[in-house]
Parts: sequence; structure tokens; C-alpha cells
Amino acid sequence: MAGIFKPPGAFTITPHKVSMCILLQIYAPPAQISVPFPFSSVSQHNRLGLFLLALAKSCDDILELKLDELITQLREIGGLLNHWLSDHLTRRLSSLSSPDDLFNFFSDLRGILGGPDSSVVDDDQIILDPNSNLGMFLRRCLLAFNLLSFEGVCHLLSNIGTYCKEALSSCPPYELPRSDDSANDLEALLEYENMDLENFVFEKVSEEIEAKKRATERVSFHNHAPRALFGLVEDIEVSAGMKLTHSDKPREVSPFVHPSNDTLGGVDPPGVFLRTNWQIQGYLLEQADAIEKHGSSFPLNAFESILKQLQKLAPELHRVHFLRYLNSLYHDDYPAALENLHRYFDYSAGTEGFEFAPPSSPGCNSFGRYEIALLCLGMMHFHFGHPKQALKVLTEAVRVSQQHSDDTCLAYTLSAICNLLPEVRISSTTGILGSSFSPVASIGTSLSIQQQLFVLLRRSLKRAESLKLKRLVASNHLAMAKFDLTHVQRPLLSFGPKASMKLRTWPANVCKELRCSSHIISDFAMESSIMTTDGTFSTAWVKNLQKPMGSLIFSQDNGTGSNSDAFHFCAQPSSIPGSVLQLVGSSYVVRATAWELYGSAPLARLNALVYATCFTDSSSSADLALAYAKLIQHLAFFKGYREAFAALKIAEEKFLSVSKSRILLLKLQLLHERSLHRGHLKVAQQLCDELGVLASSVTGVDMELKTEASLRHARTLLAANQFNQAAAVAHSLFCMCYKFNLQVENANVLLLLAEIHKRSGNAVLGIPYALASLSFCQSFNLDLFKASATLTLAELWLSLGSNHTERASTLIHGAFPMILGHGGLELRGRAYIAEAKCYLSDPSFSVFEDPEVVLDPLRQASEELQVLEYHELAAEAFYLMAIVFDKLGRLEEREEAAASFKKHMIALENPQDEEDTFIDIISLG
Amino acid sequence: MGTTESCRNELRSAIRQLSDRCLYSASKWAAEQLVGIEQDPAKFTSSHTRFQRGSSSIRRRFRTNEITSTPTAGVSYVSTPVPEEDNDAVDSDFYLLAKSYFDCREYRRAAHVLRDQTGKKAVFLRCYALYLAGEKRKEEEMIELEGPLGKSDAVNRELVSLERELSTLRKNGMIDPFGLYLYGLVLKEKGSENLARTVLVESVNSYPWNWNAWSELQSLCTTIETLNSLNLNNHWMKDFFLAGALQELRMHSESLAKYEYLQGSFSFSNYIQAQIAKAQYSLREFEQVEVIFEELLRNDPYRVEDMDMYSNVLYAKECFPALSYLAHRVFLTDKYRPESCCIIGNYYSLKGQHEKSVMYFRRALKLNKNYLSAWTLMGHEYVEMKNTPAAVDAYRRAVDINPCDYRAWYGLGQAYEMMGMPFYALHYFRKSVFLQPGDSRLWIAMAHCYETERLHMPEEAIKCYLRAENCNDREAIASSPTCKAA
Repeated sequence: MAGIFKPPGAFTITPHKVSMCILLQIYAPPAQISVPFPFSSVSQHNRLGLFLLALAKSCDDILELKLDELITQLREIGGLLNHWLSDHLTRRLSSLSSPDDLFNFFSDLRGILGGPDSSVVDDDQIILDPNSNLGMFLRRCLLAFNLLSFEGVCHLLSNIGTYCKEALSSCPPYELPRSDDSANDLEALLEYENMDLENFVFEKVSEEIEAKKRATERVSFHNHAPRALFGLVEDIEVSAGMKLTHSDKPREVSPFVHPSNDTLGGVDPPGVFLRTNWQIQGYLLEQADAIEKHGSSFPLNAFESILKQLQKLAPELHRVHFLRYLNSLYHDDYPAALENLHRYFDYSAGTEGFEFAPPSSPGCNSFGRYEIALLCLGMMHFHFGHPKQALKVLTEAVRVSQQHSDDTCLAYTLSAICNLLPEVRISSTTGILGSSFSPVASIGTSLSIQQQLFVLLRRSLKRAESLKLKRLVASNHLAMAKFDLTHVQRPLLSFGPKASMKLRTWPANVCKELRCSSHIISDFAMESSIMTTDGTFSTAWVKNLQKPMGSLIFSQDNGTGSNSDAFHFCAQPSSIPGSVLQLVGSSYVVRATAWELYGSAPLARLNALVYATCFTDSSSSADLALAYAKLIQHLAFFKGYREAFAALKIAEEKFLSVSKSRILLLKLQLLHERSLHRGHLKVAQQLCDELGVLASSVTGVDMELKTEASLRHARTLLAANQFNQAAAVAHSLFCMCYKFNLQVENANVLLLLAEIHKRSGNAVLGIPYALASLSFCQSFNLDLFKASATLTLAELWLSLGSNHTERASTLIHGAFPMILGHGGLELRGRAYIAEAKCYLSDPSFSVFEDPEVVLDPLRQASEELQVLEYHELAAEAFYLMAIVFDKLGRLEEREEAAASFKKHMIALENPQDEEDTFIDIISLG
Repeated sequence: MGTTESCRNELRSAIRQLSDRCLYSASKWAAEQLVGIEQDPAKFTSSHTRFQRGSSSIRRRFRTNEITSTPTAGVSYVSTPVPEEDNDAVDSDFYLLAKSYFDCREYRRAAHVLRDQTGKKAVFLRCYALYLAGEKRKEEEMIELEGPLGKSDAVNRELVSLERELSTLRKNGMIDPFGLYLYGLVLKEKGSENLARTVLVESVNSYPWNWNAWSELQSLCTTIETLNSLNLNNHWMKDFFLAGALQELRMHSESLAKYEYLQGSFSFSNYIQAQIAKAQYSLREFEQVEVIFEELLRNDPYRVEDMDMYSNVLYAKECFPALSYLAHRVFLTDKYRPESCCIIGNYYSLKGQHEKSVMYFRRALKLNKNYLSAWTLMGHEYVEMKNTPAAVDAYRRAVDINPCDYRAWYGLGQAYEMMGMPFYALHYFRKSVFLQPGDSRLWIAMAHCYETERLHMPEEAIKCYLRAENCNDREAIASSPTCKAA
């Protein structure tokens, strides 16, 4: 019962194919002249031949040309002949007025085919070799026609009628202006007169408008239908002008068409040009790709109406429901997504892969693959931020796939869980991964969630390797790298002999995993395109199907353009599928994140740049936005806000429609940072609140965002000198991070606590916090962060009195290489000031001996902090400078420094007075 | 409601007018109601035929005197349109010829005969014939055009021209209620439901006895809000309509009350009896349903309509002999009715021969692809045969035909639960309890789902059991495990 499939690839005869047959007849007339009648030269003749070859090879394409489009194409290749050709074509088509005409036409066609022994032919004779491409095409057409029932012939006839009529409504704008070119046109005009001339006048105006519209609105049409579909097409491809009817394009409505067709969008007039199953499947696949790539910027309603139409046309093609699911998923329509997902799997039972095989006996022994439904449902809940449901469903999926011994699905499910667990922080496993959770149950439930995750990751990786699921292996390596990045490995066994283990993360492991995950590209670069039958539908279902990316990317030129060459030759495609590229790309994002954590700013920037430049085509817009965000953040740290905001503007234009995205987040972060520095505390608080509401209210979801928001909240309070409140917020944040095992964030919070104590004057209390933060940094290899913690520690010692200056200055000098090499403006400024302070508070130090030792860092600090507009610290630097100058008796310079100090102090105290350029430029979301 | 006498007269004239316009099913319905009116025992003895003849003379007189419709006090009298063709012998002759063609199902021929006629009646018949010709062609095309992707969307090609013509007629006020009915039908097919509703309301307000128009209107009222927003004249036919519409909206007790009220005047109407049975069936009063159907069959032994419901009841009560007798009877009456196939399928299912049963359900579906209960029942059979994917498919088709069919949703839930996917099944159970919150079995099934060892959500299970108990769980299944779980 699960779907009644027609044999794929059925070749049906359509009006377009009839036109091609007519052209073939012109190309190879039964007469025996080397250059037949209408052609003036051999090259002209050959051009038509090549054109027909290209058309024949694309005859299994998803969308067929309409008559007017065909005529436009003909014009481009035909040169002067064009009028004769198109005229002949329309004349022949309109002369087919009864079934008998069709019969005669097709029996005439037989004449242009050579016999089986046509290997010996005269040079002069033009006879189609029955085994050539064109000959095969002709034979297929003949066969398809002969198979038609009488009703079928009648339908073909009426379809030809519609085909001609539609074209007539759009031909005149092209044809009439040139009507005095050749004598043939007189005939053409006469012919038109015989038809609906009164319609032309009306039509002309509207059509011209439409044509203009079309020229501007055409979008580039990337056709990456599956390889199998284009098995024929090797190097010649019909130019994009032929693929006119892309779905996004508003359809030209002709008054001849049945009004109910207006809803059709870009598909077909009903029943006229039926496509084969493969064609539609390929189309759907391509659209699915587009949805995943563009996310919410994909046109929802337009596509939905196309899908509805398709569903009406092909009720047994259940894939349509899946596309509807994807469409609603990416537009955050939960009920519709749920409904469509269930509907799809109810109908298809999970067995309708791309390489589906018709079930031999309807459903008797095949039990369907409903575990895939569970997997998808789990992913959907994950997408909508329902972690508990997602885990429940995925657990069920694990069980069901074990029951049905569906190893592939099990592997995918496990890695889905692996991806889910780190995203969704779960404080304890009780009630979620209960004893029934089989993959973990064997080890016992005494393990922490991290350990369970680790075990899961290992198993899932092993499983994927043994099943030879290359993409899965790569993505598991990635997940492993992410895990290693933030987790300290502990011995799994709580008893028995323990190997001595350093409680640290291992950057080498991360690198190893990342390298392993990138190996996939070489796997795919070497093997040619063989359809791998991973055939599993996760949300990555489409990604995991091999398709020749980039092989059929057409540069779109509008049909009226002066492209004399109607077809161009595409280069041989690279055989690396888009999904693989995407995986490799995301490994670069992980690399960037890793280097960010480890504290190498240039390497992080480099990796983000690589991603943004090399993987733009294959990545989803969300990932790309992330890479952009990283780059812009880098700018803000190292070049100040002005440049960062300029870059942000560009990024915002690029990701226009992505509302709740990384870019918005980034904007809020930058603005908050900036208002903190400039002392706009009210604005800062407001921004911080806005950041907070972006997070989902469900516990355990969007943890990153939540920690970020409360961290910023604490910092705002600190800047407002509300030490108690700031400490309280930081404290509760620490508890939360501890609960959800966010160790890296813990280091951050501890440092903030140290800072709070430092600012409130309790340096002694601050020191333990700073030390704790340091040890966290050490075990997670957070080098830059460690340097910043060291700096805070030094500052703390420094504020304890002059006996500790030496200790402080050793600490600072120890951290300097890291800070100067990789630190941002703020960190460097702070370090310089701290260094100067060290010297100044050292009783054995005398300014007069070598004033530049102090002045130089202060100058550096003041420059950098001015770029950053960090008024408070800049004022401090100038203050120190003024004092030093005063001591040295350099009065002029002292006045200058004092003036700068005053300026910054005033700006800090009266934030409103300052003209606020950026807030004006960038209005708050 | 008007007096029974006036009802009777209205119906009599309506039957003639309807069958004169070839609206046979409407006239059949009207005739059933006419016979269903309780006869005055005194008059009943007097000759039936003479009475009818008398009424026609009354009708004629009535028509000439007062034509305006006066919907006062719940009774509305609507003029009988004067057949203009009566005057012109030639026109009327054409009409007769067209009607004969129509009766022989030669629709295009009928339309062609009437091509130049301008009388309202002729125009209606021509349009109606064209519409039916288009429908016939559509069905043929549906088979012819079966492309590689399954069924093609064949359309009735007459709809456009019909819509154009009828809308101009309506604009010019040249349309009679029958024309309006046809216009509404065309609009409905074309998907402009709001206009269709307005037009149909106009039609039934000016000519309330056309049951076809009412039932089209009923199918357009999918929510209680739309039903309440209709601006209908207060005619006794409206009660029939409302009763049916309420039933469709699953407000069974309200609908039952309406039907019982109608039964006061139409006490012998088989239609009302069957509808009451339907309502009772939905309320799960199987004993009463059985009694009603026994009586129905006594009065109307060759009835096939609604008998599948009777067979469901017999199935539920496991009455082997009665079910086999019923199956035999309908088989002899008309074996190519979906209802008959369903009854036979039920019989085989009861006998435990599920393959045969599926075969008969399939046959029913071949006769009518949108026959809802056959899909659901076939799903049940597949569940019995442990072929869950097929069951899921069948149930899914049922809910896609009617998303309010809680049985099919429930079946889907059951099928998934059988496959060990309780969490997935919950979605379907939720759907079914949403549609039928008063059915304790659904709540209990959902509770079972929550209770399974794999899901283990006892709090939710308890909530479900409590709901089940609240809706008067007759079999008291809910009571015992509730205690256990609590």
C-alpha cells in the first residue's frame, strides 16, 4: 500500500517533443542533398544539428521549453534562417488539426531514419543513424507515439493546440518589429491574421511589460538535479535561457489559459506537460537543497503553492509532503511542520528514498522504516528547541532501529543525539536518559552526562566507520573535536587500576579529529560519482545524497539578450558533493572556534576567512553568518568599533532576511561593549536585556546566549559600581554554569568575580577567584584567557601595596608575549597601564633615570584605548602620564595630557552630551 | 412549522418541479419526506390519486393569485415559477425532447437541443446538462490521463463557460433558484467557497425544497461559525438542514434533538430515522441503533443507504447471523454499491477472514475513492493482519479525506503503538481526543501509551485516566489502573 509507483523515467510524448521532431525533419529531410534546402551553408546546418543535440539531451529535464522560448532560442542559432525556421515550425504545428495528421506526421518521420544497414551511406546523403543520439531520440518519440491510445492522441492534439496558443500570445513582440526582413514574414503575418488577431493588439502591450519584467526578475537557476537524471548530459548543456520557467519567476499569464491555472506558479498547465517521476524528484531535491541553504529567506508561500499544485498533479508522490515539512520547518511553523512530517511518513513509511525500489509485495513483509520518521521528528523538536521531546523521540528511534536492525539509521540517530547533547545542557540524566537508554545502560548510570556523551560519541564513530558512512564519520569526527575542545577526559571507570591522567584538554586531539574530518574531501575527490546509498533521511537527508554540485550551474542570460551562441560548454564538474563541502566547511568553523578559545586571534581569523571565501556556495546562510560574525568581532577587538560597525553594515545587508540570527546577536554584543566602554550604562542595560530575550525560555536551551546575557548584566552592574548586585548575578551565573557543566564559561565568571572584588577594593578576596580562574584556563588550554587572568591577578597584587610590586611585575611580564601577540586593544591597554603602574609604585624605581620606561607603555595604552573609546582607562593612562610629566617638569606635555584626561573624564561623566554617531547609524533591532 | 397539509402540498409541487428539471435525487428526497408525513387517519382512507390531482389544481390557483414569498412565522410560501414554455408549444416540445435526451444520459445532445431557448427552465436544463457532460468527461479523462505520476487533475471543462453565463444571468436578475443552485455548485467546484455559500443561500431562500442545494450548502459549512453566519429564512426545510449540518460538525446531541423534533411531523420518514440512527451511533447507543435499523428494514427492505452503519453495529455486537443475512440481502439488491461491499467486508472481518475482507473494502474504494469508512475499516483489517505500514497508509488516506475522522486518527495511533513507537503514537492520540473528547476509550489508549515502560510518564497517564473517568467510562476500565498508577 505504501505508494504506488510508476516506472521512473517514462518517456511521454509532449508538444515540445513534436516541435523537436519537426525541426529534426528540417535538419534531415529525406531528400538527398548535402546542404538541404533552407540552409545556405554547412556550418549553418551543423549549428541546427548541435542545437537539436543539446535539446535532445535535455529532453528529460524537469521543465520543458514553451514554444515561444524555443522560437527565441532558434532565433539565436538560426541567424537569417530564424524566420523561416520558426515560421515553418509554427505552421507545421498549427497544421496538425486532426488525429490523422499526427499519424501521418509520425509515419513521415520514419523516413528520415536510416535502415539498420546504414553504415554504408553516400557522403551526400543525410540520414539519421538510428543509433546516434538524435536517432535514438526520434525512435523513442516514435515508440512513445505508437504506444499512445486513441484518447492519448486526442490529448496530444489538444495539448499542441494550447502549446501554440500560449506561444502566439507572446510571439508578436519578438516577431513583428522585424517583419520586413524577409519575404517569408508576409506569410507569417497572413497566418497570424487567420488566427486571433484581435487578441494581439491587446496582448502586445501586456506582453512587452511582461518581457521587461522577466528580464529583470530572472534569478540565477542552479540546476543540480541528480546525476542519474543527467546521465546523458556530459558536456553540452543547453544554455540557461532555455530554463525560463523557474518557479520563482512570476508566470506570464496568458488570457488563453484556463483561469484556474493562475495559481499554478511555475509548474504546468494541468495535464499538459507531464514530467517523469525522476524529473519531479530531481526538482524537489534541488528545492530541498535551496530551502536548507537559504533558511527562512526562502519564499514560503510561493513554494507552498507550487507544492500544493504538484500534490494535486501527483498524489502518489509523497516526497512533496517532505518538502512541505522542510518549508514549514525553516519558516518556524511548528504545527504545519509536525503535520506534514507525520503525513509524509504515514504515506511513505520511510521507504521512499531517492533510490526507492518499488515494493515487491505491497507491504506484506516489509515493515517500513518508521525509525527514520522518529529520527526526523527528533531533529524537528531539536530545531524548535524542545530538547526533552527530542531526546525522547531519539531514544525511541534508537530502540526501534535496533529492533529492526537498521544499522544506518541507528548510526545517524546516535550522532544526532551526540549533536543534541552538547547543544542542550542537561543538568542530570535522571528521567531523560533513564535506564532504558540502551546505548549507555550497559555502562551503568553512574556516569556523568559528559562521560555518557563521550561513550556515545565513540560508539557512534565506530559504527559509522564500520558501516562506511563517510559523511557520518566526518561529522562524528567534528562532534568529537567539539567535545574535546571543552571537555577534560576523565577515566571512565571509577574503580580498578587508574592510569595517571592529567586533567587537561588536549588540543592535539582536537587537531587530530579536525584533520580526520577533513579527510573526507580526499575520499570524494578521488572516487568518481557513484551513487552511494546512504539513503537515510535525517534533516541532512538531502545533503547526504550525492549530486553533482556546480556541474550544471548556468549563468543566466535573459532570452532577449544578444547571446549569439545558444549553448556553451560547461566544464567537467568537480565530483565533490555539496554536502561534503559543507562538512569540510564546518570543520573550518570549528577550527576558528578552537583557535578563538586557545587564544590565537590570527589563526581564528584566518580560518573564518577561509570559510567565508571558499565555502560560501555550499554553506547554509546561518553558518556563513557565524563566520562573518567571527570576523567582525575580530575587527572590533583589534581595530576598534568604527571599522567593526562598517563591516557589520555590509553583513547586515547580506543577511537581510535572517532576523533572529547571529548578525543581530553580534550587533547587540558590539553595541553593548561599546556603550560599556563609553559609559552609557542605561543603554548598556537595555542592550543587555534585549540580548536576554533572544534566548528561549526552556531550561537547557540556548545556554550560550543565556550565560552571555547574564555575564553582560553583571559587567554592566559592575560598571555602575553596584558591586553587591554584580557579585550576586555573577554568583548565580557561576552556579548555573556549574550545574550545566559549562567549564569554559566558569573560568570567565570566576575572572569577573575577581574583577568585582578588585574594583570594590577587596583585593584579598579577589585573589582566590583569579587563581581559580587561572587553573581553569590551564586545564582547558585557554592561553589568551590565561594571560588576561594573570593580568587581573597582577592588578590584584598591585593594589595590595608596594611590597607586592615585584610579584605583579613578574606576572605581567610573563603574560606580555601572549597579550602583545594575540590580545585585543583593551587587553593590551590594560597590560600597559598595569606595567606602568608597577614601575611607578616600585619604591626602587626612579622616573628621572629612564622616563621612557613608563611613558612608552602609557602612550601605547592611551592610543589603543582612544581607538576603542574606552574613556575610563584612557583617562587613567593620561592621568598617569600627566603625573610623570609633572615630576619630570615637562609642563607643556603635562598640560596636554591633563587636557586629554579632562576630555575623557567629561565624556565619561556626560555620556548623553556626546554625539552618538553609531547609534544613529545602526538603529536598534 | 406550517400545518402538515401545507407541507404536503409544498412537497408535492416541489417533486414535480424538481423532476421536471431533472434534479432527481432532490425529488427523491422530497418524495420520501412527503410519504413520511403522518397521514390524517380520516383522509388516509380516501383515494390517494384523487387527492393528488386536487392538489395540483390548488397549486395552479395558488400560483396565479399570490406569488410573493412570505416567510412569516416560520412558514414561507414560494412561488412556483411559471413555465413560459407552456405557452409556446414548439419551445415546450424542444424542452420535452431535451429532457428525454437527458433522461437517456445524452447530456450534450440535450444541451444542443436547448441551445436557442431563453426560458429560465430551458436555460437551467441546458446548463445542468452541460455541467453533467463536463463531469462525465472529467471522470473519463481521469482514467485516460493517468500519467506517470498517478492521477492527473482532470477538470470539468464546462465550469468556466458555465460560471460566466450564470454570473451574467445573476447580475441581470434573470436567474431562478435552480439556476442559482447550479451556479453555487459551479462556484464550489471552482473553489470560491464564500460566493458559493451566498449564492446557495439565495437559492434556498427563494426555493427551499431543493434538498440538493441544502446539502451543497451543508458541505460548505465546516465550522459552527460559518453555519451561524448564514442568513437563512425560517422555513421548515431549514430544520432538516440544521440537523444535518450539526451532525457533520459532530454536535450529535443537538442534531439528535432536531431530528426528534422533525420526527414529530415526519413520523414515517425513513430518512429521519436513518439520520437518528446515525446520531445515536455516534453517541454509541448501539441498542437503539439496532432497533431503528430493524424497523427501517421492515419498512424498506431494499434499502442500501446507511446500511454499512447497521453492519458496523452488528459487527460490534458480534451478531454473525444478522450480519450475514444483511450482507446477503444487500448483495442481492445491488452488489456494486460501496455500502454493500463494506457490509460484506465487515462480515468477513467478523469471521476472521481478513484477506477477503480487505478485498471487499478495496472494491468499495474502487467504486468510490473517497469512501471514508472503507479506508478506516481497511486500516482496521490491516492492523488485524499485523501489516502496520499498510494500515498506516489506509488510515492516513482516511484522515486526508476527512481530517475530523477520529477513528482513523485513533487507528494511526494504535498502529504506531503496535510498532513500539509510543511517543510517535501520542501525536495521533492527541488528535483523536481533540476531536472526540467525550470518548473514554481514546483517553485510555493515550494513558496506556504514556504508561508504557519505555515512555514512563505516569503523571500524564494519570491525567488521561482521570479524563477518561470523567467522560463516563462505561466499561470502567479507567478506574482500576488509575488506582494502581496513583
